Amino acid sequence: MLGRRGSLRFLAVPPFAWLILLFVAPLLIAILISFRGERGPVDFGSLLQLSTLQYEKIVDSPLWVRLLGISAVMALIVAIGATLLAFPIAYFLAFRARERAPVFLILLLVPAATSFLMRVMAWKLLLGSSGAINSFLLWTGLIQEPIGLLLYSQAAVVITLIYVWTPFAALPIYGALQRIDRSHLEAAADLGSGPWSRFWRVTVPLSLPGVLATFFMVFIPTVGEYVTPFLVGGTDGIMYGNLIQDFFTRAGNWPLGSALAVIMLVITLALVAIALRVVNLRRVVA
Amino acid sequence: MPARFGLARKTLVILAGSMLLLAACAAPNKLLVLEWSGYEEEDFWTDFKSANPEAAVTFEIGSSDADVLGKMEAGSQADVFHFYTGWQQFYVDAGLVKEIDTSKLTNWDKVPESFKELGQIDGKQYYIPWDWGFSSILYNTDEVASVESWDVLLDETYAGHISMWDDGPSAVAVSSYIHGWDETAITDEQLAQIEQEWKEQKDLNFKYWVDEYADLCPDVESGDIWIAYAWQGCYADRLYAGQAVAYANPVEGRNSWVGLYGISAKTANYDLALEFLDLKLATLTCSNLPNLFYYGCPNQEVMDAIEDPVLIEAFGLDDPSILANTNFTPPVTDAQREAWTEMWANVKAD
Repeated sequence: MLGRRGSLRFLAVPPFAWLILLFVAPLLIAILISFRGERGPVDFGSLLQLSTLQYEKIVDSPLWVRLLGISAVMALIVAIGATLLAFPIAYFLAFRARERAPVFLILLLVPAATSFLMRVMAWKLLLGSSGAINSFLLWTGLIQEPIGLLLYSQAAVVITLIYVWTPFAALPIYGALQRIDRSHLEAAADLGSGPWSRFWRVTVPLSLPGVLATFFMVFIPTVGEYVTPFLVGGTDGIMYGNLIQDFFTRAGNWPLGSALAVIMLVITLALVAIALRVVNLRRVVA
Repeated sequence: MPARFGLARKTLVILAGSMLLLAACAAPNKLLVLEWSGYEEEDFWTDFKSANPEAAVTFEIGSSDADVLGKMEAGSQADVFHFYTGWQQFYVDAGLVKEIDTSKLTNWDKVPESFKELGQIDGKQYYIPWDWGFSSILYNTDEVASVESWDVLLDETYAGHISMWDDGPSAVAVSSYIHGWDETAITDEQLAQIEQEWKEQKDLNFKYWVDEYADLCPDVESGDIWIAYAWQGCYADRLYAGQAVAYANPVEGRNSWVGLYGISAKTANYDLALEFLDLKLATLTCSNLPNLFYYGCPNQEVMDAIEDPVLIEAFGLDDPSILANTNFTPPVTDAQREAWTEMWANVKAD
């Protein structure tokens, strides 16, 4: 018979094995590939012939590093935008929807049931030069020529990504708001605090763990995003993830693609660590 | 003793049965093809299907030339693989491809010599040519009077309405045509100049397209793109749609790309693979290429039989000198491909 601790350890084996086999091991292989001097068949022997050539190439290519910075800024805007839009949705679900909350929650996630590609392509129909927005503006006479910047631009990438992320971003905030002990709000009200004051001084601080979780949940994957910029980014909306994709799938240069990915991973994690240190979550919640 | 003898006999029977099963699994009636999406449709191997109704043909899909090479290098079990001109040398250097025994091909004499040569390395026939087409300038004749040179892709007059294919080696080829350089011997200085030219071109570019039918054609149709580096497939598509478009014959010559099939060095089904490729060249299968995809086929009899005016126009079949004035994509080295893709990454990241 296994004890309680033994049972927990036993139950933890499958997920740990899964993570090690399908996450940690591929990550280590990618790191090893990034230290290869040249592309070619990947075998165990060649993985151990380490070289810093790919990293030297990246350091010598300021445009690639700059693109990582641009992608991080775009990801920051997307994360802030999606979090700000998601908060009222989550607030409504947690405090106003009452017993209808599950229905609204399902409605919120219904668009996610359609293909990601379909949702992004829909924005091409909206933002294109002959799309819904330009057609409407032309019809009203507000513009004489279609606005070209709506599609195939950084703005199009940011708008589309905010749209894609917002429903998912609402979930962690909703969870955090649900966990707020309503008696705190009642106590604040009894002490003479008005609705706005209760919101800013009780609800918002207590929801911050969910808000920050949302922010990082959006920010981290968006830095390496490549599908959306590929579809709606055009010449100017390219992101760092597109470079990685190009080197893997079009150039067959896995070592350089891996090195670019490792640098992105390190810098993203560093940014998250710095942000967490600056925010000091424990103090905020306390 | 009798019991042990019985056990040994049972073991032998099981072993023999297993070997028979294994033999059946490895029967030469199975073929795995590393193919591009769309070409797995039966229309593109219909003669083989008719000749071998019992053969089990399965497909593994490659998404790019780099992906196909990567899969073969990683040990794909494919018997046959499909890639495009420019990548011939890599498979031979890595020992991934088996020489083609052309004496066993019944449709080989229908293939023009110039196409056969594209599949040769050091005088040996390693590949069979199949789908082919041109790369040139597709332009909207309502907006652009005429196009004489590849340099129209860098013409400021058409800023915001030009679209280049998202491909570094093709950018190098275009610049080489414009400057009259040998694209197989680009120097570092020339590559730096090419990079600068395409960085400047970026402001004129509407977008870099990736997929011909899903990505390029809709924007040509909408009128956003007036001038594009394009294959003849989109040109034929727009002609069928009745749009006012033309396909340039630049003074520097068009470019042409050719799809090639190789047989894996590891295949256990060489003869079946060879028959598969031979019947790719047969009349019905080959004619489905121009009829369904608007791509050329290397069976000259098929191309000569085309009567559809749109296809005649798209392939320039009424111009007997068209192929002689065309720049076929040459094989490049690993170092060149690497340098050119890095150059293109710089352009895109600028």
